[in-house]
Amino acid sequence: MEPVLVANGLRRRFGDVNALDGLSLEVLPGELYGLVGPDGAGKTTTMRIFAGLMDPDEGTVHVLGSNPTDRRSGVREELGYMPQQYSLYGDLSVIENLRFFGALFCLERDVFIERTNRLLAITHLESFRDRRAEALSGGMYKKLALACALLHQPRVLLLDEPTNGVDPISRGELWELLYEFVESGMGVVVSTPYMDEASMCHRVGLIHRGRLLQQGRPADLVGRFVDTVIRVDRHDSGIEAVIAEHGDVILGVSPLGGGLRIVIRSQAADAVAEALRGAGATIEPVRPGFEDMFLSEIRAGGGT
Amino acid sequence: MSSALYAVMRKEFRQMTRDKRMMALLILAPTLQLFVLGFAANYDVDRIETATCDSDRTAASRALRQGLLADGTFIDVGPARDCRRPGDDIRDGRAKVVLVIPDGYARDLASGRTADVQVLVDGTNPVIGRYASSAASTYLNLVSARRQLPSLAAMSAAAGAEIRVPTISVAPRVLYNPAMRSAIFMVPGVSAMVLLIVTTIATAMGLAREREMGTLEQVMVTPISRSELLLGKVMPFVIVGLFDVLLALVVGTWVFHVPVRGSLAVLGLGTCLYLLSTVGVGLLISTVSRTQQQAIMGGFFVMMPAILLSGVMTPIENMPGWLQPVTWLNPVRFFVEILRGVLLKGAGVVDLWIPFVALAAFGPAVVALAVGRFRKRLA
Repeated sequence: MEPVLVANGLRRRFGDVNALDGLSLEVLPGELYGLVGPDGAGKTTTMRIFAGLMDPDEGTVHVLGSNPTDRRSGVREELGYMPQQYSLYGDLSVIENLRFFGALFCLERDVFIERTNRLLAITHLESFRDRRAEALSGGMYKKLALACALLHQPRVLLLDEPTNGVDPISRGELWELLYEFVESGMGVVVSTPYMDEASMCHRVGLIHRGRLLQQGRPADLVGRFVDTVIRVDRHDSGIEAVIAEHGDVILGVSPLGGGLRIVIRSQAADAVAEALRGAGATIEPVRPGFEDMFLSEIRAGGGT
Repeated sequence: MSSALYAVMRKEFRQMTRDKRMMALLILAPTLQLFVLGFAANYDVDRIETATCDSDRTAASRALRQGLLADGTFIDVGPARDCRRPGDDIRDGRAKVVLVIPDGYARDLASGRTADVQVLVDGTNPVIGRYASSAASTYLNLVSARRQLPSLAAMSAAAGAEIRVPTISVAPRVLYNPAMRSAIFMVPGVSAMVLLIVTTIATAMGLAREREMGTLEQVMVTPISRSELLLGKVMPFVIVGLFDVLLALVVGTWVFHVPVRGSLAVLGLGTCLYLLSTVGVGLLISTVSRTQQQAIMGGFFVMMPAILLSGVMTPIENMPGWLQPVTWLNPVRFFVEILRGVLLKGAGVVDLWIPFVALAAFGPAVVALAVGRFRKRLA
């Protein structure tokens, strides 16, 4: 299958900051590609370069075989983009926003009506047709933005942190919507800072400091994780002392309920567990998650 | 018209009409400003406060004073407070003019000697000062000439033949504004000024607002072209500007009795060319501004000199020679020439070909420059 999007060795500097430092990736039709990384990793810069809103200093992007900045190639008719920040007209209503963007893509009137009705139905926005965009909740707003980006039925869809600032229920709905479109053969790139959302994607690229650390199916990536994760039911000075003592083999500590979640190098796991039990803690193993994997990748990739 | 261009225009109109404050700024403010500034920007000088210091206290001195105050150019504020220091009344602002008639005025006249009369004039405001001194001299020369007639007659009788003194009689006839009312001259200038402020600032802010709100990012990924987007954004302001000119004409003719001697079609053509220039300047400003604040600052930076170097306030011919060519880059200058020419003199396109050609060149050039500068990129 021909990839719908190919990025090769993208570099981009902003003053002294290396926002992108040699990023390459490919997205296939019908694939939901997740670009996962912390804030400032370079996700938005990547998305903007993909959308043709920014030129890379080095490297190339091809969307459906064309440079996305080339207006005459017709690639813009095939590209949908939803920016991270608010980008619709707050003083226009839901239907007016749709009508405006529909007109910019030169949709025929009956095509527009048919698609709008369908999009409003699946986003559950029908009853808000005449509400101003600025009066919508965060989740509804994002769904409207998604509808605006989907109006022209793009073959490639770029979503920059679509679930940022959206409540968990709406987040679930947004992902459901995405699956529907992906199934129809659309290639989707979605960026997110939420590690738990990585597992929702077909393929994931872990981005950090403008570079991809790892790329692959979420299950495979977590499967490569070799360290041990345990849960400790309490957090007191005794536990702290044990953690401090084994600082060289303990890779991460984070609060979990009333206790702690500890990532340990596997070869030292038994020794640390023994010491923690000696300090009076109850221990249970925890399945490593995407976040653990990501943090260990960052450590392996040379510091945070 | 392309559907994208039409869509941008429709959206722009919708946002404009929905924003009450914007509507007030675009329609109400210019009309109100024209109304107020039409009265304020007035160079007509009359009712000059005048104090008198009459040390002669005779029928002749009283007649001289009353004659000066007769036509309303000078109004009486009473006698000077201290005739030893008549300038005091001017210094403290009680009077702009003090007429000083020394003791012996009537006596000197009766005996055929030259009588001295002093007129002190406040020159702080040169316009008022110049006008007051010339009006006072004109009056006093007239009085003086009238005093000569009886002597001349007496001399003729004595000599047995008529004695003639050669004189030049001047009969100036003022064309286009016979009453020389400054409102008729100023209102067209003020209209051009107000129109510049409204359309330039509104367009400069329009694009900067989209950039600031993030909406430009969503628009830029669509297939719309730069010229479609920019023209769509400015056309509504051109239409609003035309409406404003219509309102200005109504206020000008009804309130200030500005004549409309020329053709409205010529005026409309000139206005369209002018508006293309002002929105073009606004667009150009918005391509160098990231925020609305910068757009406003940029707007003022451009508009101040544009107004001061337009000939609205001061005649361009009075500016120093090196400065005058600068006004050739100023669309306000040319529109003011067109407005005054068409309204006051009934001039046509042929009479006004220079300003018409200048505007027709400036507007498209500045719009093209703005379109060329605008990039469909974020950084």
